[in-house]
Amino acid sequence: MSRAKRIMKEMQAVKDDPEAHITLEFVNESDIHHLKGTFQGPPETPYDRGQFVVDIEVPMEYPFKPPKMKFDTKVYHPNVSSVTGAICLDILKNAWSPVITLKSALISLQALLQSPEPNDPQDAEVAQHYLKDRESFNKTAALWTKLYASSGVAANGSVEESELYGIDADIVQEFESQGFAKDKIIEVLRRLGIKKLDPNDNNSVNRVLEELLK
Amino acid sequence: MHTAAVDAEHEYVYEDDFDGNSFDDTSAEKYTDMAAGKKRNSIMSQESEFEIDDQLYSDDDGTDAYNDYTLVEPLSTVSARELNQGTVPNLKYECLTAQSIFEKMVERVNHLKLIFNICTEDLLSLMQHFDWNEERLLESWTDKMDDLLVEIGLKNASETVSGTQIDASNGTETARTLNFRNNFSCMICCEEKTTNTFSLECGHEYCIDCYRHYVNDKLNSGNIISCIGCSLALKNDDIDKITGSPSSKKLMMSSIKSFVQKHNKNYRWCPFTDCNYIIHLKDTSSLDEYARLHYSPFVKCSDSHRFCFSCAFEIHAPADCNVTALWVNKSRKESANLNWVLSNTKECPKCSVNIEKDGGCNHMVCSGCKYEFCWICERDWTPHGKSFYQCTLYKSDDDKKNAKTSLEVAAKTLKKYTFYYKMFNAQEESAKLDWTLGQAVGAKVRLLQEKMGVSWIEGQFLAESVRTLYEGRTALKWSFAVAYYSDASHNLTKIFVDNQSLLSAAVEDLSELLEIKEPAKIMDRKTDFYNKAGYVENRTSALIECGRDLLCKGICKPV
Ligand SMILES: [Zn+2]
Ligand SMILES: [Zn+2]
Ligand SMILES: [Zn+2]
Ligand SMILES: [Zn+2]
Ligand SMILES: [Zn+2]
Ligand SMILES: [Zn+2]
Repeated sequence: MSRAKRIMKEMQAVKDDPEAHITLEFVNESDIHHLKGTFQGPPETPYDRGQFVVDIEVPMEYPFKPPKMKFDTKVYHPNVSSVTGAICLDILKNAWSPVITLKSALISLQALLQSPEPNDPQDAEVAQHYLKDRESFNKTAALWTKLYASSGVAANGSVEESELYGIDADIVQEFESQGFAKDKIIEVLRRLGIKKLDPNDNNSVNRVLEELLK
Repeated sequence: MHTAAVDAEHEYVYEDDFDGNSFDDTSAEKYTDMAAGKKRNSIMSQESEFEIDDQLYSDDDGTDAYNDYTLVEPLSTVSARELNQGTVPNLKYECLTAQSIFEKMVERVNHLKLIFNICTEDLLSLMQHFDWNEERLLESWTDKMDDLLVEIGLKNASETVSGTQIDASNGTETARTLNFRNNFSCMICCEEKTTNTFSLECGHEYCIDCYRHYVNDKLNSGNIISCIGCSLALKNDDIDKITGSPSSKKLMMSSIKSFVQKHNKNYRWCPFTDCNYIIHLKDTSSLDEYARLHYSPFVKCSDSHRFCFSCAFEIHAPADCNVTALWVNKSRKESANLNWVLSNTKECPKCSVNIEKDGGCNHMVCSGCKYEFCWICERDWTPHGKSFYQCTLYKSDDDKKNAKTSLEVAAKTLKKYTFYYKMFNAQEESAKLDWTLGQAVGAKVRLLQEKMGVSWIEGQFLAESVRTLYEGRTALKWSFAVAYYSDASHNLTKIFVDNQSLLSAAVEDLSELLEIKEPAKIMDRKTDFYNKAGYVENRTSALIECGRDLLCKGICKPV
């Protein structure tokens, strides 16, 4: 069967090119539908030094139909769902062509990390963050890379939830001092897309309060 | 005229709460589908079986033939005059197929060829790319001809440098063929085999099996198909060569389909299932006038499927498009809560034997105890007389005794909407059964033709009757949507209800006639068929016109 032949050939091609730092492996040797691929975060981006794991499902009609890919590694990126790892990328949908390989698709994901498409977002909250405050976004994305995409360094637990979403810890504290629960504050700030807050910006403060009081 | 029926209308005061005991999703769905004229097809498509000759019918769009506003009850002369003023111009439309539209496009392409100075095939691709919109093509063409050819894949990017050779197919024809290759290694399937291959002038060569699979997958998209390896376009010839069959036809048809979808102001697919006709309305300017006067732009495809051009529903007069949309929407939301199941079997109210409705007629006779009752209200048929609509008479004085039965108590508590929905649905069901019945009778008449030498023309009265009956039922059905939104206390609404009652009686009469089993008897009663069908036609027109009057005068206020 040609699909099996093609996948085997693709895996060989990945092995033959260690420079690319891409891996491709079956989850289970008896099942050629299901693979895991990895690639490295592009340098000079917040994803630098990260190792990103991608879950790959190869359909029966491969290579005439695209493989289904999603991130196993949590990624903070406008075109990747921060919750499910779902990816919004045209070559995995309508722009798929049978000449694209699993390896080239993984390289495209790498390129996607390099240059996000915030106007075609998968995660609206993240895309807003990206568009509104690039510096803060980069910090959060780098933090996620460090927390979830780095081998060895287990910094989990020591990170404040506010930091995880790029929210200024001071404003969380401010609302906490007014008697609101931290979880609720973070939930509201995320929903409103507010990462920083000028205490004199009464409009925004009131909007947050309104939501908190609901 | 049953004045009592009019009084009974007062009983249907709208109450807002209703007891949604049993949930019947399926019937709700069935209803909305039917309202959309979908499931009806199995019945409607029987038309050809009856070989109905359209010429026998006035070829109207259902819009201007209803001036015959005859009503037994005297109608004020004022309203009668106003109605006659409300005539709209005939709709100018043609019935097309994707194929005939495509042929027109090819014709255009042959004209345009002179301007563009490129070959037909490339121009076809260009038109396809621009959704067959000449103006858009011309605009882009003058701006950036070369870029456009590259973008669409009619030209290699490298070729633009020379810029002179516009006709890409010249001189490169040889590259666009199947090649027979020994031990060819295909990078798509990763097989090494002796096989035919295909490649364009870009040199991207793949085995024919892969290419065929690739092309077949894309035929339904309607978009230009490119080389597997780059953006160079495959032309229709290439596609046919690759697939070994005239598949490019399929691609062109899907492209025309998306053209129709994108031009839905002027083009509309016939909504009947499996019907491939497309109505092209040449001039949409009169549509506003139609809407203003509460007419609906009814059209008919070459298969005699009649539908509303504006909303793509079945013929919904006397309801206008607005009432139709609201009613259907409402039923979608609320019918899920209806506390009764609509079915074709009911228990006899007397002996509880299950009775199946075997025709559209609402006059039921129990097979067990011979009890005659009304399908809708499940009461004794006798007081109904000729007018089933009397079955809404729960409160009339001489019926007080009957009103004690639990069924009627239940019926009385039916809320306004539920009531109208039920009426609507009863007609829907009846219409379907009428067609089934008509089909059976039609088969028998065909037998007569063969065995007794009854001529085809002679047998046509039956087909006509069935059709008239169907149209009457449909008008009656939609009239309940109009009644639902109408001010029940207004005099004209009462007249409307009387009209419903009259049409209903006429329809039941004709329906009963169609239940005659013996073919010989049918032939004997030919005149009866003519008379009763003619009467139904008149009553249908009158009801439709009266309903339009309700809308025009704002007595029917759909909200
Ligand atoms: Zn192949
Ligand atoms: Zn190519
Ligand atoms: Zn049709
Ligand atoms: Zn309509
Ligand atoms: Zn009985
Ligand atoms: Zn009745």
